[in-house]
Amino acid sequence: MSFKVIKPGFLATIQDYGRLSHGAHGMSRCGAMDEHAYAWGNYLLDNGFNSAVLEITFGSVELEALDDAFIVVTGADLNFRINGNPSVIWRNVQVHKGDIISWNSPKSGVRSYLAVKGGFEAETLFDSRSVNLRENIGSKIAVNDKLICKKSNNLGDKFISAQYIPNYNQYIVLRILPSYQFNEFSINQRDLFFNQTYTITNASDRSGCRLSGAPIAIKRDRMISEGMSYGSVEIATDGLPIILLKDAPTIGGYPKIGTVFSLDLAKLAQKQPNAKVRFKLISISESQSERAKFNQFFGIDES
Amino acid sequence: MHKIILAGESSILIYFGDKIDPALPENIANFANELKTELYELIVDLTPSYTSLLVTYNLNLTNHNEFSAKVESLLDGFKNNSNESKSNTIYIPVYYGLETGLDLERMLAEKNLDLETFIGIHTAKEYLVYAIGFSPVFAFLGEVDKSIQSPRLATPRINIPAGSVGIAESQTAIYPTDSSGGWNIVGRTLLDLSLNNPENINKFKTGDRVKFYSITRDEYVNNGGQL
Repeated sequence: MSFKVIKPGFLATIQDYGRLSHGAHGMSRCGAMDEHAYAWGNYLLDNGFNSAVLEITFGSVELEALDDAFIVVTGADLNFRINGNPSVIWRNVQVHKGDIISWNSPKSGVRSYLAVKGGFEAETLFDSRSVNLRENIGSKIAVNDKLICKKSNNLGDKFISAQYIPNYNQYIVLRILPSYQFNEFSINQRDLFFNQTYTITNASDRSGCRLSGAPIAIKRDRMISEGMSYGSVEIATDGLPIILLKDAPTIGGYPKIGTVFSLDLAKLAQKQPNAKVRFKLISISESQSERAKFNQFFGIDES
Repeated sequence: MHKIILAGESSILIYFGDKIDPALPENIANFANELKTELYELIVDLTPSYTSLLVTYNLNLTNHNEFSAKVESLLDGFKNNSNESKSNTIYIPVYYGLETGLDLERMLAEKNLDLETFIGIHTAKEYLVYAIGFSPVFAFLGEVDKSIQSPRLATPRINIPAGSVGIAESQTAIYPTDSSGGWNIVGRTLLDLSLNNPENINKFKTGDRVKFYSITRDEYVNNGGQL
């Protein structure tokens, strides 16, 4: 079973939970940008948490089913259609041989996930199927590519009740841990950081989300490069924040004011350039208990 | 001496010192090995750098306070035993020519050195791998002799050919793949360090040593080197 790529769109890549254990080799964590939508996609198909999906950014993608398949689309509403007819998302659906499935352009959110029963059987490179264009690991989908998966049939209806489907147009406040050099920023500079509304810039991608706003300063001349965790917020030389995301470099030498909570990064992954964000503090215990619940619900195990 | 700080909801950063020090990479690599042995089931990832180690752990199995306490107690008992180190020396053949060393002509003029002297200085040292990062297989090597140090280019190049050897301040490195970058390029190796050969992932480890040696234009070209 496979899907044939008719239109590859702007950026569509195979992603799984990520390449978690190669930091010492200089490899980013990779994996799906919106972990929430990603996890639901696999959940609704009874897949393992690490099953590979197709991450579609902004749309303009068209695939032809070369056999019957049981699929789920989650995440952004990119005007998903089957044979030209609007179709449901956040709910498993059967597609048949010859069906054309398509994503047009964003109605809400920017990243849509196509999950298939059993996951896509893309090549595993360095313990993950996740593509990382910055590191030349894998490539985005191209015309006539075949996206291989197992043939599957309806396993019974599964969906999310409407109340749990996120509203990606909602204003977001990113909760941030006081990590790294947080205490080296003066109270005035921290106040400036927490009391302003930042704007997401165009120069944002899978590596980092760059924000514009009033610059903040740190009294520190030189930093020695150190390991950067997922979600850490660099303050670059221009005083503006860069939130480090899935494909970010592993080490870097800018001071970091904190680390954004992972499930808030999932929400951030659905924001368009020019969207507004603010920050507020979260405690380590609160972030760990919320994430542990998420992991437990979706059967996520990083060991 | 050691300091543990919060890095993320499932990670901590351990500092082993506050200055770049050639003793640290091996020390950090040894402690990373100890963590892998002692806390095997809790560790998800380890990212060493010049003076620090980023440790990512499985928060399904532990939490920040408990995990930090475990690491703290291992650090207290940690005796760096350099006899156990498994550091290698990696030899890299380089053609230092004006065709491959894109910044060589300018640097020779700035430093008032002839090519032979320049090559002699760059190849004299065994460099230490301080960190791997920027991209896979990119090893930050130090420290470059003061007489050939040079700051990063004001405007980074869009495309530096794979295998290029660069200098930035006290560091030197090899670009494993075609890449953009701002280092001063002094030559090129014909070794394929890209992940086209997946074994290259283990080519360099922090604490390893790297020694460059000079090859002639003929040796470079006859073995498939591109100009």
